Amino acid sequence: MNLLPVFKRQLASYLSAPATYLSLAAFLVLSATLGLHTSQLLERSSSDLQGIFEWHPWLYMLLIPALSTQLWAEEHATGFGDFMKTLPVTPAELVLGKFLAAWVMVGVALLLTFPFVMVVNVLGTADNVLIASQYLGSWLLAGNYLSVGCFICALTHQRLAIFLLTLSLLLMASGLSSVLDALEHQAPIWIAESLISLSPYLRFGMIDHGVITLKESLYFLSMIIAFLATTTVILNYKSG
Amino acid sequence: MIEISNLTKYLGKNSVISNFSFPAQRQECLGLFGAEGAGKTILLKMISGSIRPTSGHVNIFGFDTQSHRTQACKAIGYQPESGINHPSMSVFSLLNFIATLRGFHGIEKRSRVGRAASRLELSSVLSYPVHTLPPGHKRRVALAQAILHDPGVLLLDEPGEGLAPHQQDKIRTLIQSLTEEMTVIVASRDCEALSGICTRALVIGSGRLLADTSVPELQRGSRHFQAVTLAAESHLDLLALAVLPGVAGIEEHRHSPGTVTVLAMPGHTIYPSICALIANRNWQISSLKLEPGRLNDVVHQLSQEAPH
Repeated sequence: MNLLPVFKRQLASYLSAPATYLSLAAFLVLSATLGLHTSQLLERSSSDLQGIFEWHPWLYMLLIPALSTQLWAEEHATGFGDFMKTLPVTPAELVLGKFLAAWVMVGVALLLTFPFVMVVNVLGTADNVLIASQYLGSWLLAGNYLSVGCFICALTHQRLAIFLLTLSLLLMASGLSSVLDALEHQAPIWIAESLISLSPYLRFGMIDHGVITLKESLYFLSMIIAFLATTTVILNYKSG
Repeated sequence: MIEISNLTKYLGKNSVISNFSFPAQRQECLGLFGAEGAGKTILLKMISGSIRPTSGHVNIFGFDTQSHRTQACKAIGYQPESGINHPSMSVFSLLNFIATLRGFHGIEKRSRVGRAASRLELSSVLSYPVHTLPPGHKRRVALAQAILHDPGVLLLDEPGEGLAPHQQDKIRTLIQSLTEEMTVIVASRDCEALSGICTRALVIGSGRLLADTSVPELQRGSRHFQAVTLAAESHLDLLALAVLPGVAGIEEHRHSPGTVTVLAMPGHTIYPSICALIANRNWQISSLKLEPGRLNDVVHQLSQEAPH
């Protein structure tokens, strides 16, 4: 199995790129300022971090495309991506290794928000189980978005195209809920319901409000697997 | 060892490789000669498994590159034409990364990376990022990673291009020593440079196999085979040269006056009689050379004659 070397390599290239630190810093700053400004987290001495996490679906729309442009574009520009095809690595190992590395980077970004947990714990009685479930939910959502980014990366190698396509695809997925509101009175109820169940934004809202359920986690995991499988299929097809 | 049968590749509606077949054994060094755009690189890429052929098969040690890609990849070392480039890795970490992907660990990995780097004289640049190196170094990095795992089949795409002359000599010596252990296929536009080390020459033109013979056989097809080139400080009596038995014609070099090439008729040897004439007339000769035949001309001519 060559999953581990690919994963390590990708993690190393994330850690050696200034763009990674810049996007992580932007994510953290935005997450802190937006969260604190809109939710009055400190004034209300709330027991969870909902005020911060409810911004994450929107902040990920900037962070995820920024991370996913680094997955393939640079290597492709230098011709290294083509060369990798002559090595004994399967496309599945390549996709999964790179995806996991990017997912770990998002995990690092999330872990760096730990001062909030401390603040909430110091200022009042915090529900740490709920906070942990919110973290997990946010990380799963990020994984879901990243798998979409991987999928776009398999289609095109141009940085700007990757960034814009990922951004618009994620916006469309998030905008699904407002479309559904409009559809509510016209469309048959089962169509609206099945569409609602596909929106990652609404799913995340469910986790955000309460304790994470198996159903929601499975939804995110299956979306990740579906997108990564599609990516692998596309890469296999493209090598022809 | 390696068997290529009816390999065909279409890009869009144009065929870039058509019906290409040849076998190769261990300890053979195949020169793949052809003009620019003849299909050398794409053929090597198909053998290496990075491009899928439209039809036909590549069989490496019993493994088909399409159905058993991973096993076939393990037996192949491939040096891409442009060398290897990477946006962030250093030479050392690149070689290490590829050694890991090739399945080496610990001490063995370190010794293999060290050996490949020293064979290609890369030890002094190991810590430099690959993308900052000049093209010649990138090509040597590419060669180093290709021989890292002692492959059964080594595919080299223009290995000597862009290297200093003494480096080219070293690469030739290296290829020659590698031929003792593996099958080497080396593609090049400059056939002359490789004529000494190739045991077999494949000429490719417009994606077709035009000739598959030994290098001396190919040289025999040149009209300069057995020709003699001489340069003199004094005036040469061209008429005396022309009437020598077996002389087919005389070419004067436009760019260096005083230098002529005397062509031999097929099956004739003119070198001794020219030497005798020089001694007889007491010409002041500054250089005298018997030509083995000009491979580049032969390949060019074969490519021109090929149907398009």
